[in-house]
Amino acid sequence: MARAIIATSKLRLVFQVGMDDDGKPLLKAKTFNNIQKLATADQLLQAAQAVINLSNETLSSIERVDSSELLA
Amino acid sequence: MAKTLELEFVTEYGKPARLSIENPKEPIEEAVVKAAMEEMIASGVFTSTNGNFASVKGARVIDRNVTEYEIV
Repeated sequence: MARAIIATSKLRLVFQVGMDDDGKPLLKAKTFNNIQKLATADQLLQAAQAVINLSNETLSSIERVDSSELLA
Repeated sequence: MAKTLELEFVTEYGKPARLSIENPKEPIEEAVVKAAMEEMIASGVFTSTNGNFASVKGARVIDRNVTEYEIV
């Protein structure tokens, strides 16, 4: 059975910076590399909240980006 | 004027590590920044090539001014 092992984790904060001419939201992302692979969703949310507290931007979403290595 | 809040941490091996936040909430309050940084350390998700974030070192705001000239 093949396995997927997390190689790197990133935390991505997506901010809404305005609207375009068609009324669609304009998004801007800030990515934090160097995230613990073993971090739980709760821990990531706690860290993201701390960052957002210092930011003046309007939050759109908080994302976790993992990339895994596949092993046979 | 693009402002960036730079958070300086010390890792578990005593090395510096930085995290930057664009467009920070102003005015910057030292106590709020310190609390947020401690929260980031407590969350335990941020790491670096020099180890996990262990303590707060300082914070600074970098103000970048760009003046463009139209030189034909």
